[in-house]
Amino acid sequence: MWDRLREWFRERKEKLDLFDETQVDRQDNPLYILGQIVYFSWIAVVVSGILLMIWYEPTTHGAYNSILRIQKEVPLGWLIRGVHKYGADMLILAITLRIYRMYFLGEYKRPNELSWMILFGSLVLAMISGLTGYLLIWNQRAFWAAKVVLTVAVYLDELPVIGQTRFGSAIAFAFLGGPAEGQGTLTRFYAIHFGISALLLVAAEIYFYFTRRRRFVLSPTALVVLTLMLVVTSYVFPAEMGRRADPNRTPLPILSDWYFLALYQYVKYTPPLWAGLGPGLLIAYGMLVPFLDRSKGRRPAERPFFTVVGVMALVYFLVFTALIMFNIAVIGRDPHVVLLVTAATLALGLVLEFRYRRRRKLAEAAAPAPAPRAAPARAAAG
Amino acid sequence: MDRRAFLKVLSAVPVLGGLAAFLAPVLRYLKPNLEPGLGVPQGKVPPDLAEGDLPKGEPLPIATLEELREPWSSKFFVFTQKYPQYTPELAKAATVPGVAIKLPWKLAFPGYKGGREPTDVVIFSRICPHLGCIFNYVPNWREVTAGYGGYVPPEDRRHGLMACPCHLSIYDPADREQPGRVLSGPAPRPPRYFTYEIRDGVIVVTGAEPGGIA
Repeated sequence: MWDRLREWFRERKEKLDLFDETQVDRQDNPLYILGQIVYFSWIAVVVSGILLMIWYEPTTHGAYNSILRIQKEVPLGWLIRGVHKYGADMLILAITLRIYRMYFLGEYKRPNELSWMILFGSLVLAMISGLTGYLLIWNQRAFWAAKVVLTVAVYLDELPVIGQTRFGSAIAFAFLGGPAEGQGTLTRFYAIHFGISALLLVAAEIYFYFTRRRRFVLSPTALVVLTLMLVVTSYVFPAEMGRRADPNRTPLPILSDWYFLALYQYVKYTPPLWAGLGPGLLIAYGMLVPFLDRSKGRRPAERPFFTVVGVMALVYFLVFTALIMFNIAVIGRDPHVVLLVTAATLALGLVLEFRYRRRRKLAEAAAPAPAPRAAPARAAAG
Repeated sequence: MDRRAFLKVLSAVPVLGGLAAFLAPVLRYLKPNLEPGLGVPQGKVPPDLAEGDLPKGEPLPIATLEELREPWSSKFFVFTQKYPQYTPELAKAATVPGVAIKLPWKLAFPGYKGGREPTDVVIFSRICPHLGCIFNYVPNWREVTAGYGGYVPPEDRRHGLMACPCHLSIYDPADREQPGRVLSGPAPRPPRYFTYEIRDGVIVVTGAEPGGIA
């Protein structure tokens, strides 16, 4: 048992490919430089972040003003801040696109399970990093986003049995630095925001050392294009400041960073305990999908159920984001619609899956009986 | 399971136990609250905060009864509470915004004499019991319908309502059975109330229902 686990791990470790280095010779396909874009934007974000620390003041009184100064007065401050903000957006966008690519093309299958799990975990960490970093501006949007997210944790106390340890409140208190959002929260978020990247950078270096992979495989053209994208975006759309945080007033249309918007709409629809459990289940599904999906083929049509689930997730993400941006939510009606659509889509996925399997079985039976099951799936699929 | 594997499992138990014993104080390191006896000298914690995590606040006069004479008129205020914390003052202040609302009828409100005497002034913490945003008191229910997700109240509730901008919970401050009843939205319970007294025609807030994150 132990040895088999070790063997499994060893095999995955050899095939570990976190930044697409081994696939980048397919330069005709932009989908296969996403891993490189992740690494590039990550380094850009870390470097600009360290430069921002020179001027940033992590106090509730000074934070907003110091960022205003970086944006308006410090020479090239707008550029550093723009690269940090848009670099982070690029990072999360690239991870997300890469996750969808790996999902729809079945790239999470053996032997890439570990690569997929690390990538998926890094998306979660990048989102936490985004949330903690956003609070550092100490503006309205960030203040209420942080408070809402940490209050969600409190409801985990409602779970049977393990809720009695009150671990949900403990999580909230540990992040808040007290029972209210204030200086303690800002200090802790600053530490977390910096700490995630610092520790992961060390982990990435260990990965490079042991796998002897190269860090940058991007062509010079791609490097220049990406850098120009960051610079031009920072110039044309200076990173927003928002309004200074006011703990006694929540503005009426209150939004979050773009990658949390869909989640915000979902939170309107569910009882608060499920506001925490829902994303938890989503993360669990993402982490476990390489083990849930036992289908043989890799193409989307060869595993209809998982394709349908993926399309549904993408559509929900886009629709919920649109709904919250236009402030549309009919609480009495929408949750039923969502549940119904979800159930219908899952049923459709199952029907397609069974139909596909039956057809393949018939095709296999009709085929002039191939020898053993040595190379069946690929041949049948191709 | 062979003998070797069994012994391995057996020896893993004290190793894991030792690891847990090491991790427990690390978790305590993350907890922000002061606890007497955990390295904080007994006398140093402000005496009125010494009871643990429960917040304490000074009584606060918020309005005269004269100000709140019209039905559905309201007054916003901010109540300050202190918690025992690792700060230079060993106490941290958090503010709780509240609203006092004058109702056209009397009802039992738990914040006034424990609900034993009916009153027509209700005072709520504006911290949404759902996820902690600050909700608004909206005297005109049409604004609730327009701005807070299209909820149309039934005929008998078309009066001042409370509504939260974050996730569109809507509360009825004047519900006779349960002041602050949730009419719509994801909120699990009515908003927390303030306890108050009336001293010489002045409404004085004396404390807040405990719970929630300020």
